[in-house]
Order: sequence, then C-alpha cells, then structure tokens
Amino acid sequence: MTELLFFVEVVVAGLLAGTMYSLVALGFVLIYKASSTFNFAQGAMVFFAVLAFVGFMELGLPFFLAFIVTILLMGLVGFCTERLVLKPLMNQSEDTLLMATIGLGFVLEGLAQAAWGVEVRRLDLGIGDFPIQWIIDTFGLFVSALDLTAGLVAASLILGLSILFKYTKMGLGLRAVADDPGAASSIGIPLNNIMLLVWTAAGVVALVAGMMWGARAGVQFALVDLALKALPVLIIGGFSSIPGAIVGGLIIGATEKVLEVYIGPYFGGAIEGWAPYVLAIFFLLYRPEGLFGEKIIRRV
Amino acid sequence: MTNNSKDILKIENIEVMYDSVISALHDVSLSVPRGKIVALLGGNGAGKSTTLKAISTMLASERGKVTKGKIIYDGTSVTNQNPTEMVGLGMVQVLEGRRCFGHLTVEENIITGAYSRKLTNSEMKDELDKIYSYFNRLKDRRKSQAGFTSGGEQQMLAVARAMMAKPKMLLLDEPSMGLAPQLVSEIFKIVKDLNEKEGVSILLAEQNTNIALKNSDYGYIIETGNVKLHGTAEKLLNNDEVKELYLGISKQGRKNFRDALRDEVNHKKENKFSKTN
Ligand SMILES: Nc1ncnc2c1ncn2[C@@H]1O[C@H](COP(=O)(O)OP(=O)(O)OP(=O)(O)O)[C@@H](O)[C@H]1O
Ligand SMILES: [Mg+2]
Repeated sequence: MTELLFFVEVVVAGLLAGTMYSLVALGFVLIYKASSTFNFAQGAMVFFAVLAFVGFMELGLPFFLAFIVTILLMGLVGFCTERLVLKPLMNQSEDTLLMATIGLGFVLEGLAQAAWGVEVRRLDLGIGDFPIQWIIDTFGLFVSALDLTAGLVAASLILGLSILFKYTKMGLGLRAVADDPGAASSIGIPLNNIMLLVWTAAGVVALVAGMMWGARAGVQFALVDLALKALPVLIIGGFSSIPGAIVGGLIIGATEKVLEVYIGPYFGGAIEGWAPYVLAIFFLLYRPEGLFGEKIIRRV
Repeated sequence: MTNNSKDILKIENIEVMYDSVISALHDVSLSVPRGKIVALLGGNGAGKSTTLKAISTMLASERGKVTKGKIIYDGTSVTNQNPTEMVGLGMVQVLEGRRCFGHLTVEENIITGAYSRKLTNSEMKDELDKIYSYFNRLKDRRKSQAGFTSGGEQQMLAVARAMMAKPKMLLLDEPSMGLAPQLVSEIFKIVKDLNEKEGVSILLAEQNTNIALKNSDYGYIIETGNVKLHGTAEKLLNNDEVKELYLGISKQGRKNFRDALRDEVNHKKENKFSKTN
C-alpha cells in the first residue's frame, strides 16, 4: 500500500512539473503557428524574463510591479523581434527564420547577462518547497506546495490562453494567420499585430515558467536548457497543437519522474536530463506527427 | 478621401518586377468604372494575378514591386499602402486558388473577413445573415471545417469572406479555376448579384474568357505583361481575334480553348505548375 502511495506521489509530482513543460511548449506552439518556425530563442526568453524580473525586484520594485514591468519588457522584446528580425525576413524560408531565432537566443542571453550579471540569483516567491499538511491528512500524499502552485499557475495560464485563442477576435486572427498568412493579410488581418501578440504571449509564458523554475533551483543559465525540454514535449504532442503541448508536457513530466525514481538508480541517477529525449526519439520513429499533430488538410 | 470621379480604379502604364529582376508586367493601363465589372483576360503567366496583386499591394509579400507608372484607387495612390490599409479603404482581393483557412469552420472563415471592421454581436449576426442570403450553400455547411468542403464551396467561401470586409471594390482572381461548368455559372451569378445589389465594383481575372465576358461590362486582354486588346464585353465577344485565340472559335468551327492557347503558352507552363493550394 505504501508502495502504491509512493508511486502516486511520484506521478503527481511529475504531472505538476509537467504543467511547466506544457506551458513552455505552449509558447513554442504559438510562435510555430504564427510563423511556422521553431523558436529556439524561447529558452533564452525564459532566462531573460526571469533575470529581468529578479533585477527589477533588486532595484526595489515591489513584486507585482516588477511582474508588470517585466511583462511590458517582454512585449517590447516581442515588438523588436517582429520589427528587426521577423519583418525583414518575411517570405524567407523557414530555415532562415530558424537560424534567426537561434541568433536571437544568443542576443537575449548576452543582453540578460550584460544587464544583470552572471551569478545565480535566488528568487523567493514566499512559497516553500515543503509538503502541504492538508493533503497529507486527507490523502496521505506528500505534495510540495511549490509544485502545486506551479501546476495551478501553469494550468490557469494555459486555460486563459486557450480561451483567448478560441473566443476572441485576436485569437481568430491568430488561427487564420496560422493557416494562411497571405490569405489573412488579403482580408486585412494585420500580420504584425498578430506577431506582436504571439511574441508577447510567449514572453509572459517564459516569465512565469522562469519564475517557477527559478524559485526552485535559482535563477541561472541552466534555465535555458530546461526550457528546451519543450522540444521533446512538442515532438510527442505535435508542433502545432495546443492540446498536444499540454498532454505532451504532462507525459514528459510524469515519465521522467517515474523513470528517475525507479530506474534512475541503475544509471547512477540524473536521467531526468535525457530520458525525455529518448522518449521523443521513440515517437519520432513510430509516430512522427506526434499525438495531436494536426493532419495536413489538402484538397485538390 | 472619397472621390466621385467616374473610375474607381485607374492604372497608368505600370511595370512590375519580381525580385528586382524578373519583369512580369511591362506596360499595363486599365480603368474600372464605379459599379461595373471589368474582366482581365489572358493565358497562363500573362500577368493577371500580378496586376491584381499590384493593386491590392499584396505584391510586396512576394518580393514584387511596381517600378513604373501609377495606380489610383478612389482618388488615392496605392503605392505607399499595405494590404491592411487597402482593405480599410474598401479594396479586397480574393486570391487565386481560394485560400480558405482550412482548420477554421466555414462560419469562422466568413467572420475573419470582418476583421478590419468593428462590429457588435448583433451587427455581426445581420452581416452573416446577409452573406448567407447570397451564399445559401454556405449556410448549411457553416459548422464544417473549411478544409473539408468542396472546391465550389471553398470558392464561394473565399468570396463571402471578402464581402464581409464591406468592399467598395473586389479583385477576383480566377474564380472559375478547377470548377465544373455548372458551379462556375452559379458563382458568376452570385458575383453579378453582389455587383448589382451591393454596388461593389469588380475587377475579375479569368482564363475562362467566355463566361467572364458574358458577365462583364468591359474587358482587357493581356499577353506577356502588355495590354493587347480592350473594349466593351460585347465588342470583345464578337472580335475575330478573340474568338480565334481566346474563345476557341475559328473560322473552321469550334475548337477547344486549351488547344487554341496551348502553342502560345506551352513554354511558360513548366514553372507555373508547381503552384499548390
Ligand atoms: N512570386 C513571383 N516571383 C517571380 N516571378 C513571378 C512570381 N509570380 C509570378 N511571376 C511571373 O510573372 C509572370 C506573370 O505571372 P502571373 O501569376 O501574374 O500570371 P497569370 O496571368 O495570373 O497566370 P495564371 O493564369 O497562370 O494564374 C509569369 O511569368 C510568372 O512566372
Ligand atoms: Mg494568376
């Protein structure tokens, strides 16, 4: 019985961690939908956003204000990206765009470190990484308060964005652009506004993910790699699917925790770092379009 | 900035280049009188789509540029506009190949057409009802994913979507493409209806010379980037050269339209046929 309870604990912790992957993957999906490119700068955006946030707090801004200012800053990053990188490269091949996002990533990493320094920062959100008594009493499970908060925050952000894209005018515009930018532009949907929306949304996602991860492990450069775990998530979920990003994140989160705990010891631990990629390779071999990859609709 | 001159659109001697080297139009002049339908005819690669994209300013997104001449729409030069602004000014292009948003429903597609307008929910509903009154077929399919509707339905959808922007002028690029004759007539009937009841001026690019001229007031025939002939639709339908080359009626009798054109356009076909939807 305790064995089973322990297993459930591991899975729950994994799923909660997975929501963060889902969230970051969602940032990728948005940009992929709007400009058909894999945004390699997303990891750098996570690092940049949370470092800026911590920097503003150090300057004495209160938590909430620092959060708002950072979101505005990410909006500005989105705006500059649209103006300086995407617009001049409009109509170039997807490979060119991909290279551009890699470059953008380096620029953001460099800017962040130049502005705020290279040492690891502590980020205290006021939520400890300890089990919640109430859950222990009711279910007999040990669930970390930080994990739970991160999970809830990620879930509500995902829900909010999904509603935004399903039911608002901007959301409709984004889905139209995702299907056919040329046709969208022909009926007066302003592509640059949509790009700005998407990059800002990706910036907010990056900030939230950076804060949750940073609170646990410190705000440091390793966040960039952590964010790139969205790649296996996307391979599993499908690059263009929002539900795919969500489910993919949960699968990766749960699987890596279970593997880490039960199989990890045989490999000398720390398999969390690469297990998701192995899982992704299996998907590439047997289901390359991912679980939810949108079937390409083609009619002649 | 409205203007009451007779012509809603006037193109004067435009030259268009792609990638700064490929010259697609050499010297094209034409005008569209307010409230009329004008046909722009010619074979593959003649420059019909290029002309329309020059007007709607969609050229820029294909690395094309108007290098000479000018385009005056409703009293404004379009040179420095972008597609969003053009739609705001009431000029909307229906692109070649329909280009519906495949993953959106039929109704969502139609609604995207009103993106440039600020409509309340009830106004939107009225607009949709009006559109459905022209496009009955779309009403039945409004919940379907657009990518899974038929070619004819998609063409109607593309026109319906453009009409939602409340255009003063529509640029239609080959609405008949790949459709059965019966559907083509149905679509042209709707286009004519829209022109008469909504007062929208139309410039129509077509390879189907016969049906286009029968539904237009005036026609221009272009060949390799130059206007070759123009005149009232009636005059063109009775012109010997048009009959022979574009309507496939020779003195020896009827001949297939494609046969008539084939010799002329064969050398162009290779690079044109890589186009997909
Ligand atoms: N994006 C582009 N880049 C370079 N050249 C182009 C481009 N689009 C068209 N062209 C060239 O410009 C010329 C005119 O093409 P256009 O598409 O305007 O012809 P069209 O009359 O619309 O033909 P079709 O009936 O086949 O659609 C052709 O020689 C074509 O190869
Ligand atoms: Mg064409």
